[in-house]
Amino acid sequence: MLESILSVLILGAMMSAIYALVAIGFTMIFGVGGVLNLAHGGLIMIGAYAFLVATSSSVVGAIAVPTVLGLVIATLVTAVASYVLYGGLVRYIEDNVVITFLSTVMVALLLTELIHHEFGSSPRTLLPIADGTLHLQGVGTRINYMYILGFVVSWIAIGLLWYYVSRTDEGRSILAVSMSERGAQLTGVDLESVKSRTWLIAGALAGLAGVFLGTLQTTSPEMWLNPLAIAFIIVVIGGIGSIKGSVVAAYLIGYLEQFTLEFLGTGYQGIFSLVVLVAVLLLKPEGLFGREFAHE
Amino acid sequence: MSSETDTGRSISGRVSGAAGRFGGAAVDGLSTVTEPVDRALRPIANVYNRTLGGYFGEMNGLQLVLLVGSFLGLVTIPFWGNYTLVQATWLACIWGIFAMSWDIQSGYTGYISFGHSVLSGGAAYTTAMLLNNVNAELPMRITIPISVLVALIIGLAIALPSLRLSGPYFSLITFVAVLIFYRLIRPLSEYTGGETGLGGIETVFSTDPVMRTYAFMIPMLLIAAALLIVARSNIGLILVAIRENESAVEAAGINATKFKIWSFVLSSIPMGIGGVLLAHRFGTVTPGAFVVVDNSIEMIAMAVVGGMGSILGPLGGAFLVIMLEDVVLSGFESEIKWSILWLIVLLILVFARDGLFRKLWHGLDRLGGDRR
Repeated sequence: MLESILSVLILGAMMSAIYALVAIGFTMIFGVGGVLNLAHGGLIMIGAYAFLVATSSSVVGAIAVPTVLGLVIATLVTAVASYVLYGGLVRYIEDNVVITFLSTVMVALLLTELIHHEFGSSPRTLLPIADGTLHLQGVGTRINYMYILGFVVSWIAIGLLWYYVSRTDEGRSILAVSMSERGAQLTGVDLESVKSRTWLIAGALAGLAGVFLGTLQTTSPEMWLNPLAIAFIIVVIGGIGSIKGSVVAAYLIGYLEQFTLEFLGTGYQGIFSLVVLVAVLLLKPEGLFGREFAHE
Repeated sequence: MSSETDTGRSISGRVSGAAGRFGGAAVDGLSTVTEPVDRALRPIANVYNRTLGGYFGEMNGLQLVLLVGSFLGLVTIPFWGNYTLVQATWLACIWGIFAMSWDIQSGYTGYISFGHSVLSGGAAYTTAMLLNNVNAELPMRITIPISVLVALIIGLAIALPSLRLSGPYFSLITFVAVLIFYRLIRPLSEYTGGETGLGGIETVFSTDPVMRTYAFMIPMLLIAAALLIVARSNIGLILVAIRENESAVEAAGINATKFKIWSFVLSSIPMGIGGVLLAHRFGTVTPGAFVVVDNSIEMIAMAVVGGMGSILGPLGGAFLVIMLEDVVLSGFESEIKWSILWLIVLLILVFARDGLFRKLWHGLDRLGGDRR
């Protein structure tokens, strides 16, 4: 019993870190532009498939780069895709919230069908960046090295993001726009460039998340839905627009999922987090750290 | 939410502006042809306007031609259409019901619901579970009312908590409702049949295509009429006002939340009817065909294509999408077909956000020349 609790604690920490990666990009885009980006799951999928194409010699051509380079490529490709999504579509329609999020749904579905067509519907396996497992004697559990790597990469990314947003002028302008768009504009912040940068960063984080999720779970044309649902849940619980809230909520949900998995089996996975979500929505609709920045 | 940005005028605005100018010239040319037609039919249209116009909205002669023409075409479809077309019509009637029901709630109030597939799925599953778990001999006159009632209860269960929330939160929680419902199917597979679903549902008039067409079409037409009456009444006006400016509605002393909940409940009844019809169309109920969020998105796509917030627009959209899906594009493999469909919907969202049928309707209005 004690052992399984320990293993839940460790595995939960690893999984939660990856969930945080999934959610932060989503929440940043919402905080800055008020855009609900339902194509976020699609971006994660792009990350996973970009990694697949780059590292596997059997998919497209014979090029196969080392997996670490593949991670970099996947991140860059997803960041660019996200930037293009903003510059090529969302920028022109963001005045209407409903049209915007319906359009991003259509983009996500379009991506799903194209990937389905290109790579087939069956799940693909990604080459692990770090192979093997770590055996924890005291706990009696094995941890995939990918989990540990995901944990480390996630916290590095969160640390860099924190530094960028709170210590540099460019980053602080992002924060300023999410507090008050008009106020930021009056102080000379270039709204377009702030939004483009936000989408670029969100895309990069989604790409990272995509590689880890794709390796540890599945890489298939249906993989966009679950991360999107997780991002939803985490962001609502943490408070829409709040980075700190997303990280805290990611850990809450990560642990909850790990506990259900360990003690109730796979059948109920995901149901409890949804119940927690409903409870938070009803009792504290602004989320745990909602509107950490004033925003109206 | 700070969605009103004054920077960057939208492309779609510019494009439709240009289209408007070109269209203006074309309209002037066309209306010399169409105006006599309109004038000839105006007396008939006016008879309608005086008697029923108050309930359904007024129209001119050309719009009358469009409506009566498409109605007659629809009703006679089993006699002139080939089997593929007739089969697609069955499905289109059911999806038309879904799209219209979605529209009276989401299209009118602007509270976009991703959860409508739970309502239809709930009704379909109730029918299937009654037949599979209670008694396989239960007649339709018992299963159908119970199923619709369940849809209504699910609708209330979703609407009561979620409609206290505003804007995107509502969409999120409806999305989550679908996920909860979907994920509960597997642990309860003893009753729900899990991923493979449940069978054993009687397929109505499966031997007679003509009767079968009307079994789907008559409910659709009745629902269309009922929803139109509601939408054109003061209730519809309040729902639109909620979409445009909710605080103004509250300031006028109207309880907006109450109207939002009513619109959701109102839409869950036809959703239930549609779900039952869909179950009786195929004879089996599976999570993939009835519950998954793609179904809700497809309803939304239909409404967007036709024009949100107009009831008849989404109905037309449903026919257009289903016909594209099952007749026009049926030769392509499924991924390509869906890619094309989603691309079309995306383009309509960006460049014609009012929808194709609303554009057509207003176009006819202008072609008809001066009113009276």
